[in-house]
Amino acid sequence: MESYLSMKNISKTFGVTGLKANDNVTLDVRRGEIHALVGENGAGKTTLMNILYGIMQPDSGTISLNGKELKILNPIAANKAGIGMVHQHSRLVNEFTVAQNVVLGAEPKKAAIFFDNRKAEAEVAAVIEKNRFHISPEMKISEISVGQMQQVEIIKMLYRKAELLILDEPTSILTEQEIQRLFDTLRELIKRGKTVILITHKLSEVKDISDRITVMRKGRIVSVKDTADVDEREISKMMVGKSVIFDFAKGEEGCRETVLSLEKVSIRKKRQGHPILDNISFNASSCEIVGITGVAGNGLTELEDVIAGLQKISSGSIYHNDEDITNISPKALRERGLAYVPTDRLKRGSSLDTSVKENLILTSHHDFMKRCGVFDDNKISEHSRRLISEYKIDGHSDVPIGTLSGGNIQKVILARELDNVKDFVLFSEPTWGLDVASSEFIYEKMLEMRARGVAVVLISSNIDEILTLADTIFVMYRGRLVAGRASGPDLTREVIGEYMLGLKDDFRGEE
Amino acid sequence: MSSEGFSIPIIHNSISIMTPFLLAAIGGLMTELSGMLNIALEGLILIGAFFSVIFAAATGSLLLGILLGILMTILVSWVFGAITIYLKANVFITGLATNLLASGLTAVLSFHIFGTKGVLMFEELPPLPSLNVPPLHKIPVLGDIFFGHNVFVYMSWIIVVIAWFAIYRTPFGFRLRGTGSNPKAMIAIGLNPQNYQMLGILISGFTCGLAGAVLTLNLGAYVPHISSGRGWIALVVIYLGGKTPFGILGAAFVFGLAESFSNYAQGFIDIPADFILAFPYIITAAAMVIMSIVQNRNED
Repeated sequence: MESYLSMKNISKTFGVTGLKANDNVTLDVRRGEIHALVGENGAGKTTLMNILYGIMQPDSGTISLNGKELKILNPIAANKAGIGMVHQHSRLVNEFTVAQNVVLGAEPKKAAIFFDNRKAEAEVAAVIEKNRFHISPEMKISEISVGQMQQVEIIKMLYRKAELLILDEPTSILTEQEIQRLFDTLRELIKRGKTVILITHKLSEVKDISDRITVMRKGRIVSVKDTADVDEREISKMMVGKSVIFDFAKGEEGCRETVLSLEKVSIRKKRQGHPILDNISFNASSCEIVGITGVAGNGLTELEDVIAGLQKISSGSIYHNDEDITNISPKALRERGLAYVPTDRLKRGSSLDTSVKENLILTSHHDFMKRCGVFDDNKISEHSRRLISEYKIDGHSDVPIGTLSGGNIQKVILARELDNVKDFVLFSEPTWGLDVASSEFIYEKMLEMRARGVAVVLISSNIDEILTLADTIFVMYRGRLVAGRASGPDLTREVIGEYMLGLKDDFRGEE
Repeated sequence: MSSEGFSIPIIHNSISIMTPFLLAAIGGLMTELSGMLNIALEGLILIGAFFSVIFAAATGSLLLGILLGILMTILVSWVFGAITIYLKANVFITGLATNLLASGLTAVLSFHIFGTKGVLMFEELPPLPSLNVPPLHKIPVLGDIFFGHNVFVYMSWIIVVIAWFAIYRTPFGFRLRGTGSNPKAMIAIGLNPQNYQMLGILISGFTCGLAGAVLTLNLGAYVPHISSGRGWIALVVIYLGGKTPFGILGAAFVFGLAESFSNYAQGFIDIPADFILAFPYIITAAAMVIMSIVQNRNED
């Protein structure tokens, strides 16, 4: 079949580091197909798509669409050529309505200077109607869900008459149901003659929806295949260059003694009509991984802050080994042995401008003092050497941690927190945005903690992660726990998805 | 003194007094909406005040003085903006630098040209024209309050209305607010958020130039540091006014009233003058505290 988009011999090297993000890459996409572009973080997928969308210029190489060679100098030029991009994180203005966001930059006008809101809403409603979206143009972005935001991004591109849609990791923040809805939308678009490039590293989705696959690794194209001809294991092998184990042997269930216990914990302040945290009760026991999941905005972040001692609760109690620790300071919590791997690893988990070895002693620097009150540099360096080799951190101990890759930054945090672990550790979104190999390493460490008798709390919006690791699974919806069940074959992605969207609720009507 | 005879002049004066706050705050609002805190308002007002009066004196024309004064202020705001936005300097440092530059530059030029760092009197300057509509002026109370001000007062009200339309009813306003709220949204659709931030700063240059011109041309003289904190209060006015043009109009009026009251009160209330002069600033502090309490309430 004739190729629709053809990117030939694209190379892009990044300034100071000399990193070859794209090395002589050639990509062919056919009209009317869903083409999956897969690869680990840093494989060069996003760079390639940024070049296609005019956000970056390649050092060399050509792009042609429909047989015509194009110079794409900026996103406006890309839009004119019929190329639209839906970014990984929402690029929307929260205060504006759906319609206002869609037309921003290409606003309909009246009397030559004024923004015509009515016309904007009518035009956007027409696009919504035609492509069978379920959203109303006059809703504000701050009132809609993450899945709907993504629809708005797609509508934005369709409004600009995009024929080729690039979707960058569109499913990473969606629930199972929302993902299915997105895929329905994509199939609908294909029927209307559009073409889709889907960037992802979730292999099940690739199998589910794509027609062809291009695999990238370290800036190069490794393989181009028809989806029907390969299975997930083969794709993953091509991505990482080695086979990845997906099934973890969780090991024996051990001792079960309650370590951390939350009783009717509430934050009464309201958000969207419900208390931020509403009567949350659960226990975390030794030798157990407690998984807590939910859709963003339903209280996961606040629960993380509460357990880490960074957010005071308005009522309820928290106990650690039967001692009341409600609303004690983070410092006191640390002294009791809290280990904590936060969601925001760049701001909360590390100090980006300081060195790896300094980051490694952030929570235990008192142990590295000489008697005269200054740091014992030899001891710090030795400590850092040991952890760098133990945690296989790819980076030197004296460089600022901010120069490391995301996976290695997370390993430094893990090393610092787990090295001193006593009986309890909190992980929040530990593998968010990380590649398969780093995620795997983190999972192994989590299971190692469990085997050592530590109580592990895992807060994660990644259902696969929760299903793989957790012994007990809780789901949060609108600030409440709506499910608390032991993991088992009956607890599938779909079931959890229903809880996450509030379609099911085990605890309604109690109390 | 009857209570009416006492309060009407206070309100009348407060309307004149609020004008520089209002103008500077409206310009500052544009910068604020584009996602930057404009702490250079104070310096920009001073630049406008100095250059408009010396150009007016040199050319003998109020209009030319105002125009050239505004032009100089826009030029300074452009330098401030270019260094901050395109050369990516820290906005606090460049903003403070602009304020220091303004006070240094005016003193140096004043000494170099007029041989003094003190007050410059321009007695030959014509007074600012004021708006008197005789039949309307006769309306009791309202006529006394709203008419007989200089043209800048009415211009500032027109600017409030224009600002409202520009912010909420034009593509420019949407893009400006889009920039402030999520610059990445702008980049994603191929618009450069930096250009909108620059426009926000240039507009503040324009309105601060006007605000400065009001101060000196009304007086027919230049007094060193005549801006005397108005740029900072304008910042408070932006927040107190809820970052909306009409909110700012209301907040500026409160400050006008406070200053007007303290001017009057010095004459006959038996408390130390220093304390009375501090009144507008006490209002500032109180207003910020009350606003933050109210905001917290609303969130709870």
